[in-house]
Amino acid sequence: MRAIKILHLYPDRMNIYGDFGNIITLQKRMEWRGIKSTYHPVSIGDDLKGEYDIIFMGGGQDRGQQLVAKDLLLKSDIIHDHARRGTPILAICGAYQLFGKYFVTSEGEKLPGIGLFDLVTRASDQRMIGNLVVQNDVFGQMVGFENHSGETELLDGSLALGKVLKGFGNTSQSIGEGIIQGNSIGTYMHGSFLPKNPKVADFLIEKAVHKIEPNFVLKNLDDSLENKTLQSIINLTN
Amino acid sequence: MKKTIAIILAKSAYSTGRILGKSGTALPGLLAEKVDGNLMSKLAKGNFPDGIVVVTGTNGKTTTSKMISDMLNGSGVVHIRNTAGSNMRRGIISTLIQNSNLRGRNKARMAVLEVDEAYVPSVCSAIKPKYVVVTNLFRDQLDRYGELDSIAKSFEKTFAGTKSKLVLNADDPLVASIGIKALNKPIFFGISDYQGDKIINDHTADSVFEQESGEKLQYLQRYFGHIGIYTSKNKKYTRPEPNINLIKMRSLTKVGSDFDVKISTQLKKINISLPGIYNIYNSLAALATTEALGLGVDEAIRSLSKTSSVFGRGESIEYSGRRVKLLLIKNPTGFNQIIQTYLKPKPQSNTLILSINDNIADGRDVSWLWDSALEDLSSYTGKIVVSGSRSYDMALRLKYAGFNMDNIKIANTLKQALDLATAADPSESGIVYALNTYTAMLEMRQTISRFSAVKLKGISK
Repeated sequence: MRAIKILHLYPDRMNIYGDFGNIITLQKRMEWRGIKSTYHPVSIGDDLKGEYDIIFMGGGQDRGQQLVAKDLLLKSDIIHDHARRGTPILAICGAYQLFGKYFVTSEGEKLPGIGLFDLVTRASDQRMIGNLVVQNDVFGQMVGFENHSGETELLDGSLALGKVLKGFGNTSQSIGEGIIQGNSIGTYMHGSFLPKNPKVADFLIEKAVHKIEPNFVLKNLDDSLENKTLQSIINLTN
Repeated sequence: MKKTIAIILAKSAYSTGRILGKSGTALPGLLAEKVDGNLMSKLAKGNFPDGIVVVTGTNGKTTTSKMISDMLNGSGVVHIRNTAGSNMRRGIISTLIQNSNLRGRNKARMAVLEVDEAYVPSVCSAIKPKYVVVTNLFRDQLDRYGELDSIAKSFEKTFAGTKSKLVLNADDPLVASIGIKALNKPIFFGISDYQGDKIINDHTADSVFEQESGEKLQYLQRYFGHIGIYTSKNKKYTRPEPNINLIKMRSLTKVGSDFDVKISTQLKKINISLPGIYNIYNSLAALATTEALGLGVDEAIRSLSKTSSVFGRGESIEYSGRRVKLLLIKNPTGFNQIIQTYLKPKPQSNTLILSINDNIADGRDVSWLWDSALEDLSSYTGKIVVSGSRSYDMALRLKYAGFNMDNIKIANTLKQALDLATAADPSESGIVYALNTYTAMLEMRQTISRFSAVKLKGISK
């Protein structure tokens, strides 16, 4: 099988919450299974070239985010195309918001997103900070750390990534956290997210591999340390 | 009158606390401010005829304050200084109260106060410092401070039109630009000669862009993170020529450094007995401050050469016959500096303790562990004991950085971590490096003091 191409969007500007940990996790979990991968950082003004197999984008500072938002619109069509073809996408925090339909700033200004996710986000005065525990039927309990003031509303028919057991999630009042839409996932969970949630990492890897070899079976890895870490965070929140 | 009541209340809270064996410094300040909301400003006004020095920034506050304090002592300037544990608003008030009489007067000519970044605007507007030193600005405890940009913005606003003399790091674009609207021309310090080893997996460059336009800065030299020599089309983000300028690096080791510094027109040879490039920056910050103060430069350099490590930051303590070196880690830049300075150089230590807590003072979000350059150490072959409330996060980070997991032990308590690290093993000797987040460091010191035959005392080097 050819190497899996990981596209990392704006790593120089959207990187403040341990986002590299997610890339490292994807790389290592492929390496441990003998799957080759290549890493493709792309930033403002860079062109997207050819086919990518996994797309990742993290969170940044508010100021950096405005510039990124503009550039992202130029890349929107290609990202939509990838999603349509089943390319797994993970968007965390700032990226999660920018992948929605629009963001309403505290001044009431509507900033357009790329509309990959059927959601809208509104600025709020409240900062939602802390550990998150989220339940998903397929992935089980997931953990992460949230730090956002945007309130994200999923539009009709969209599915949350999971049910909030601890923490805030999409809004200060919400039952749901994140979004899952086909093979694309958006979430407020960082910390880093994928190392502690190996089932989600493997979901993304499997979808990427299946684009190339539909019958490829992912080898099981020893995830005892990953699972103990996940459990230790659940315990901390109790 | 309000002032005196507030002071009496705080002083009695302080002595009660001492009787109860509590060393917390926030409570007296809290009580006092409840009685007199302007107390901080009143305690600063009329005292300290030679001025107050505020030291702030992400890393290096405590060591830089200690260096300035040592230099003032060397020149016989009577002054007061707060400790790292009392660098927030209430701790600062408590420090001022402890050092004053009931009328709020004290005999010190100066105060050297390290101030937590989040409290710089309110503290500076209350105490009107004559000098403000900013060491560097990096991502740090985002759950508590918010984003770095907002800290930088608040600094720029605080220092617009300020009468304070700013002492700024020329090599940090975010710091160098905050004095742009100050009334007095800032004093800049910087390093112009550095060829040492660098962190390879460095993800800590937070400010390689102009704040307003988002344009990328051009780096001629990058030492670590976003620290280095940079230019930009915008003059605000072009590195200023340092007034205190390291122009020749002679040696940079685990135990100390030698270098030549140009101070105005004079060239001075300097030797310090603290390791790493970050302590060179701290030294330059301190020298720049004494230059601003007009202290004798030779006397300052003499004092600087004798400055030893500060509480929990390179301090060595004996435990079970092994020397344990306590090193504070709290953000990826600091962690990388410890890796670069202590852990990478050969011969490597063969025992490490990594204790990671997620209390409020540590930062509750531990994602910074994933931005730290553990990959630089992945060929490390010694034993590593992890502990703290986030021990599993730390262990997992090591796994994904490619460490041999057979060498990693997870301890439930810091006592167990110390015992595992120092357990008799003929293949292990030498210094145990214990890297701890803030509250883990405090706990580690207490544990050592409780269980060690050797009374806790800091031994420099």
